Amino acid sequence: MILATVLAETPALPLHTAGKYVAGAYIVLFALVLIYVAIMAIRLSRIERDLGELLSMSEHDAGPATAGAAHSDEHTQDTQDPQPESTLA
Amino acid sequence: MYGKGLRTLSIATVVAITTSLSLVFFYAPLEAEQGFLQKIFYVHVPLAIIALCGFVLGGLLAIQHLRTRDPRWDMRSYVVIHMSLIFAVGTLITGSIWAKGSWGHWWVWSEPTLVSFLIVFLLYATYQPLRFAIEDPERQARYASVFAITAGAFVPLNFIAVRLSTAYLHPRVLGSTSNLPGPMALTFLVSLLALSLLFATLCKYELTAKHTRAQLRALRRRLSGETTGAPTRPRSAAPSLHHATAPARAAGGSAL
Repeated sequence: MILATVLAETPALPLHTAGKYVAGAYIVLFALVLIYVAIMAIRLSRIERDLGELLSMSEHDAGPATAGAAHSDEHTQDTQDPQPESTLA
Repeated sequence: MYGKGLRTLSIATVVAITTSLSLVFFYAPLEAEQGFLQKIFYVHVPLAIIALCGFVLGGLLAIQHLRTRDPRWDMRSYVVIHMSLIFAVGTLITGSIWAKGSWGHWWVWSEPTLVSFLIVFLLYATYQPLRFAIEDPERQARYASVFAITAGAFVPLNFIAVRLSTAYLHPRVLGSTSNLPGPMALTFLVSLLALSLLFATLCKYELTAKHTRAQLRALRRRLSGETTGAPTRPRSAAPSLHHATAPARAAGGSAL
């Protein structure tokens, strides 16, 4: 309904003669930007996939080390006072 | 680093393009001779101006690369030239559409403005193959910078030569903008600003994407335990950010 009102208020464009050429020129610009955005989307998905691989690689590498660290944390917690809880919770 | 301000720039670009299109179609008056066809002028001319300025800017950035040997300048030069080439494609296509509507021909070989722009475009079309032909990243960057400077100097010379030519059909724009009626001049300037913002935004996107990929590669090498030696990468026309020479590193900056 809003679109219909806007279209009714806007002045009529003389599309009958040169309209196809003007439309063509602006569509070219739009298409170029669209193609670029599509390429960027492909790159973004590739970056996301690479990040996922790296994350799993780092989790795989850090797995034994984390287990060891957790064990030593348990040992130190037995001997030290408990740390104050985070205020972010 | 490169992504800083990208959101603001993107929003400004969208606002400027929307304003520009509104002005073009609902504010600027119809031109007496060409009528509605003249609306192409608001997209074709800014595209051409930005593409040519981008080629010159690429040369200036390449000078900075040769001065500092910092690969980040080569990357900027590469991205600006790459984007200018895309804008040049847009210029050629929209120009041909205008020529068909106005002159009845897609292309006129006797017109110096058209042919000279095509020569500049073809010159820069060899930039990517030149880069791809050189395997060593450092040599690739150096030769590409020399090319960018030489070709960048050719652009204004070419422009002046065409302006000095006498017989032409193509309308003159630069230097005669002051003759445009107020609403047309305003619309043209807003369109120029909008497409300049689009150019800057796309360059920033491209730089951010390349920087992110370089960081990912560095992270992958670190995680896989490769700590020494030059990083191996597939042969590419895109600049490598990992051949920072002694001066660049001594300046305190990282390879990125």
